[in-house]
Amino acid sequence: MAVNVTAPMSGKITEIFCKVGDQVSNEDELMILEALKMENPIFAPADGRITAIKVEPGAAVESNQLLLVIE
Amino acid sequence: MRPYFEKMPGFGKPLRENRIARSKDSRASLETVEAGIAALRKEREKVGIPAETINARGGLTIWQRLEYLVDPGTWHPLHSLYNPEENEEGTTNVVDGLGRIAGRWAVIIGFDNKVLAGAWIAGQPDNILRVTDLAKRLHIPLVWLVNCSGVKLPDQEKFYAGRRGSGAPFFRHAELEQAGIPILAGIYGTNPAGGGYQGITPTILIAHKDANIAVGGAGIVSGMSPRGGFDVEGLEQLINVTRDLKERPPGRVETHYNETGFFTHVCDEERGVLDGIKDYMRAIPAYDPMFFRVAAPAEPALPAEDLYHLLPFNQKEPYVLEEILARVVDGSEHLEFRPDYGPEIYTGLVKIDGMLIGVIGNRQGLLPAGYPEYADYPGIGGKLYRQGLIKMNEFVTHCGRDRVPVIWLQDTSGIDVGDAAEKAELLGLGASLVYSIQQVDVPMMLVVLRKGSAAAHYIMGGPTANRQNAFTLGTAATEIYVMHGETAAVATYARRAVKDKDAGKPLEPIAAKMNEMARKYYETSRPAWCARHGLVDEIVDLKALRGYLQAFAGSAYQNPKSICPRHQMLLPRIIRG
Repeated sequence: MAVNVTAPMSGKITEIFCKVGDQVSNEDELMILEALKMENPIFAPADGRITAIKVEPGAAVESNQLLLVIE
Repeated sequence: MRPYFEKMPGFGKPLRENRIARSKDSRASLETVEAGIAALRKEREKVGIPAETINARGGLTIWQRLEYLVDPGTWHPLHSLYNPEENEEGTTNVVDGLGRIAGRWAVIIGFDNKVLAGAWIAGQPDNILRVTDLAKRLHIPLVWLVNCSGVKLPDQEKFYAGRRGSGAPFFRHAELEQAGIPILAGIYGTNPAGGGYQGITPTILIAHKDANIAVGGAGIVSGMSPRGGFDVEGLEQLINVTRDLKERPPGRVETHYNETGFFTHVCDEERGVLDGIKDYMRAIPAYDPMFFRVAAPAEPALPAEDLYHLLPFNQKEPYVLEEILARVVDGSEHLEFRPDYGPEIYTGLVKIDGMLIGVIGNRQGLLPAGYPEYADYPGIGGKLYRQGLIKMNEFVTHCGRDRVPVIWLQDTSGIDVGDAAEKAELLGLGASLVYSIQQVDVPMMLVVLRKGSAAAHYIMGGPTANRQNAFTLGTAATEIYVMHGETAAVATYARRAVKDKDAGKPLEPIAAKMNEMARKYYETSRPAWCARHGLVDEIVDLKALRGYLQAFAGSAYQNPKSICPRHQMLLPRIIRG
């Protein structure tokens, strides 16, 4: 089952700690979303393998924008 | 109430490898600051003449006296780096902290007899007032190791007079005694004038055989009558009188034990004085901790070492407050109060050494969508909004009703601002919190985990805005200021920039001033600066934090001014619903 990970609010992706194909565990830190002057970590919502990353470091994202997919 | 407290819900999760790897640099930064603080503390302990010299004269240093007096492993120093007047000695010349003596908690303070024979110096009265306030708030004995040569005369104008001058501790002693708080004094060496009053105002005076206390010492007795100047003939007379008084200073044991009886006991040995204090400590009223325990004491289920990976050094990086808390409280268990309300604030009951403690702290990171409910912008942890302010008011009030001491964990950037925030009554709710804290009259302590800023630093149990704060701790990540330096620079120079721009002037000078202001804010908000200037009472290593919480809980429950039977507490029932 594919799980979409989306941006909780608009901001800027400053760091990405994973790549396509990585096996991740629930609550692993996947990337940093800079918003409201804070560097907010985006956590994996489930165990799985990353099948797609839809953003790059430096990307401006909107609230609910798709960031990556975990299967 | 056993079903409420014996086994509370567990919280906190084991650290993940991913988190450990990501936070290695943060841990290194925290440990570097901690090492720097430890080095400053060591440097301060070495100030003055060497211990060997004191020992060769047959005396002990303040540090050796403390080591003998305090139960092993229970010394929790405070004000180690406090030196608000930037004295050249690098100290306020008193050493103090919380420790157990003969099994009972006490606030302990002594003059550093290695430095100017324990003289009064600038900044010291405020240090002493912090200590008398601490004993009063925790309602535990104050133990003095008096060894004070009186005023450092060349600097007297800095601290002798005034509302908070060096004489203020004398009436504070009277206040403590009137509140039923005993003051035990071990008296060593020569204590003239101010030293004499430090020696006479406590409740029980135990003197070393060579000690003296006097209204005035040899120095002033021989020169009491000003003659309009000095000449050789006058100096000859002075030399003769001084020689005699040095041999027989006023206020010796033969006077204040044999004649006046001020000294309760006199001991031939230095350690005998300390043994006497231990005997009196055994005689003071103190509950056995079992009296107030709601459960058996237990270590946290998760290790304190994790704190170095959980509290980010980078102020912009959020963290989960509950994960910090789970590393310092018994069994990593809690009862959370109103978890669905005021999401920027954690409130809950925990156990420290089996004793019930209320905890209030700032959550960090993104808040749930739609919060704050009164605004069209998103909320962020660290800030205070309407619900969080109401929740803190409620929780503090319940803790007061149930007589539960409170620990604040502060990491706040301030109260929400703007028209919506004003309409949401945040100004009034912040003031209400100050009122609520004053109203409850239970001991509180504060840990500024990272940021203490704006009015939020005051109202969240800060030492500035209430009498319940017993002491305030900082960490290696602490920074305290009215606002971030760059924010302050904007507030200061924005209008000037507009004027200069309109006048066609270059903007580089203003930019330079703004950078200089931001730099100054940075430097004057670091942990060592906060400790030196008393913004916190001590900077503690993260791994030592639980020890201070235990000292606070043990002290607060040792001889409380009032109690609430656990089966009559409301807060646990409100939490359960």
